[in-house]
Amino acid sequence: MAQLELDAVRKVFTDDDGSDIVAVDDVTVDIEDGEFLVLVGPSGCGKSTTLRMVAGLETASGGDIRLGGRSIVGQKPQDRDIAMVFQSYALYPHMTSRENMSFGLEESTDMTDEEIDERVQNAAELLDIPELLDRKPAELSGGQQQRVALGRAIVRDPEVFLMDEPLSNLDAKLRSQMRTELQRIQEDLDTTTVYVTHDQTEAMTMGDRIAVLDGGELQQAGTPLECYHRPANRFVAGFIGEPSMNFFDATVRGDRLVADRFEYGLREAAVNDVAGAEGVTLGIRPEDVEVTPGTEPADDNEFATVVDVVEPMGNENAVYLGFGADPTDPFVATVGGMRRVEAGQRVIARFPPDAIHLFDATTGEALHSRSLEDADPAEPRI
Amino acid sequence: MSDATVDDADATGRTERLGDRLRAELEALDAARVGVYAALFALTAFYLTPIESGLVSAFKTNPAGISSTLPFAPPPLRFFTLEKWRTAITALGRGMVNSALYAVPATIVSALLGSFAAYGLTQADWRARYKAPVLAMLVAGIFIPYQAVLVPLSQFWGAIPLRQLLTPLWVLGVPSAYTGIVELTITHVAYGIPICMVLFRSYYRNLSEEMVEAARLDGATFRRVYRRIVFPVSTPMFAVVLIYQFTQIWNDLLFALILVSTESSPAAPVVLILAGLGESMEGQDFALRMAGAFVAALPTLIVYIMFGEEFADGVAT
Repeated sequence: MAQLELDAVRKVFTDDDGSDIVAVDDVTVDIEDGEFLVLVGPSGCGKSTTLRMVAGLETASGGDIRLGGRSIVGQKPQDRDIAMVFQSYALYPHMTSRENMSFGLEESTDMTDEEIDERVQNAAELLDIPELLDRKPAELSGGQQQRVALGRAIVRDPEVFLMDEPLSNLDAKLRSQMRTELQRIQEDLDTTTVYVTHDQTEAMTMGDRIAVLDGGELQQAGTPLECYHRPANRFVAGFIGEPSMNFFDATVRGDRLVADRFEYGLREAAVNDVAGAEGVTLGIRPEDVEVTPGTEPADDNEFATVVDVVEPMGNENAVYLGFGADPTDPFVATVGGMRRVEAGQRVIARFPPDAIHLFDATTGEALHSRSLEDADPAEPRI
Repeated sequence: MSDATVDDADATGRTERLGDRLRAELEALDAARVGVYAALFALTAFYLTPIESGLVSAFKTNPAGISSTLPFAPPPLRFFTLEKWRTAITALGRGMVNSALYAVPATIVSALLGSFAAYGLTQADWRARYKAPVLAMLVAGIFIPYQAVLVPLSQFWGAIPLRQLLTPLWVLGVPSAYTGIVELTITHVAYGIPICMVLFRSYYRNLSEEMVEAARLDGATFRRVYRRIVFPVSTPMFAVVLIYQFTQIWNDLLFALILVSTESSPAAPVVLILAGLGESMEGQDFALRMAGAFVAALPTLIVYIMFGEEFADGVAT
């Protein structure tokens, strides 16, 4: 086990017509020994390429990758002491689960057959699959294949686990089950892990830290709650969280924000943060929007809206609200599942001043994040 | 009401139902469908008649049985004989052994080398600019007609002192004509590699890339990945290539004619002996020629049956 450092790692692909495509642009992340880092971003953001460079399956065009302090750039994949779990599981179809799992040990170590057997048996017990050891992949369900693929990585006892969307081929229920189990296993083994996913729920729930990538560039690296409550820019704010944060483009006029449909009064702290900026984007998370029945806004943080659509989810309702009678461009608020809200109803939506985020309209940089004063001081949320 | 009446009524009901079904099926048999079946039947007959004619002819006496019966009619008892099969087996026996001596090793070696080449051209990391010419040359090799290389081929083997190199064999009592068998083996391997490579290449290009990457991350070297993953996984394609190559090599007459040349040679392959079987001054013994053809075709049939299941898998991929 060791610390993994990515130092200004770059990957440039040269297209057939000679033009360069930058897939990964100066990504720098340090992954502590035993840490679970989730690389998350939309498809095509370079997260898989980054992982493949760590594995040695792609050659980095620039920068350095260090494992336990020594550079592994230029080393062959088989010399890196890294195990990887693939999205397609990539099991060897002609071998039984046992042979699949012992293959890596046979190839990379000079352990005796007994030692290998013992390792495989232990891993199989950890994953709860001892009875599947003598079956071939074609005789296993997707979830079972997933476990064998994990087992194949675990028996190697490598410095680093790399996982490339390992759960995306599973159905929803199995996926959440495996998510918990993966976390448990990773905690037990305490192996440095880099996990790639496009699913922000996986990122939020599994990672010790998450690194958000977009367009090949690192947007933010931090704990899940940091990324959630203190997003570095508009992209992170919109990507993390489900349903996504609502955004409104606005201009700053003194202590007021003027948007197309409304004007919003800013508190002093926010006014100071946006000083100098002209165009800003106001962001507010759906769960922070307070919805109350009524038609008359009491102050300049409240707006008269009409309910457009309600999506009941049991524990909560996602309510799409439009300003005035015009239902175009609705924004989302979540309210408790027991509350009765119906389409067409007139309600007051309040954006609490301490829950808003403000971003620079051109660069997307965060200018002001929500205050966390209402958080329980005994249990800091970050 | 007695039981018998019930049974009768039941039987009547069944007959009616059967009648209904027949009528329905006859109605479904429209002209187009009848046409399709008739055409299929005619085609089947067209393709099977020569084989059937050959098979029945092989059991007829010559010339009485052949000339007095229809070609595709089975032999009447008085013209029936197994004599031709006995003669064919005796005549072709040593040829079959000789053919197997080069067809089996040449098939296996060309399939293996073709598989190596395809693995190197698909999974190894080299620049397309170096890979393309190698691939182009191999593909071009498929399209060189055998006839075009006959003269260079015989000159090539004339220039190589293979007979001297193999002296230890002759000392052991092997007739030195067997140089021809060694030449045939090497020639067929060389000419088989391109087509084998192309067949394997299409298969290896579709191999799961992640599986090969997983094996490399598991610590296997390029060679070990072939040995432990790619080779076992390509069994179906090996079946296809082995059947195809074996049939090609076993049936090839041209190289045998050039490199061994006479059927009287102790090393004469079956195709050379078969060419002269049943020919004489008195005319052709058709029955013997047919029996000989079936005997000579037997090994290719056996190979097909041996690898049939894997062959179906391989063709399906």
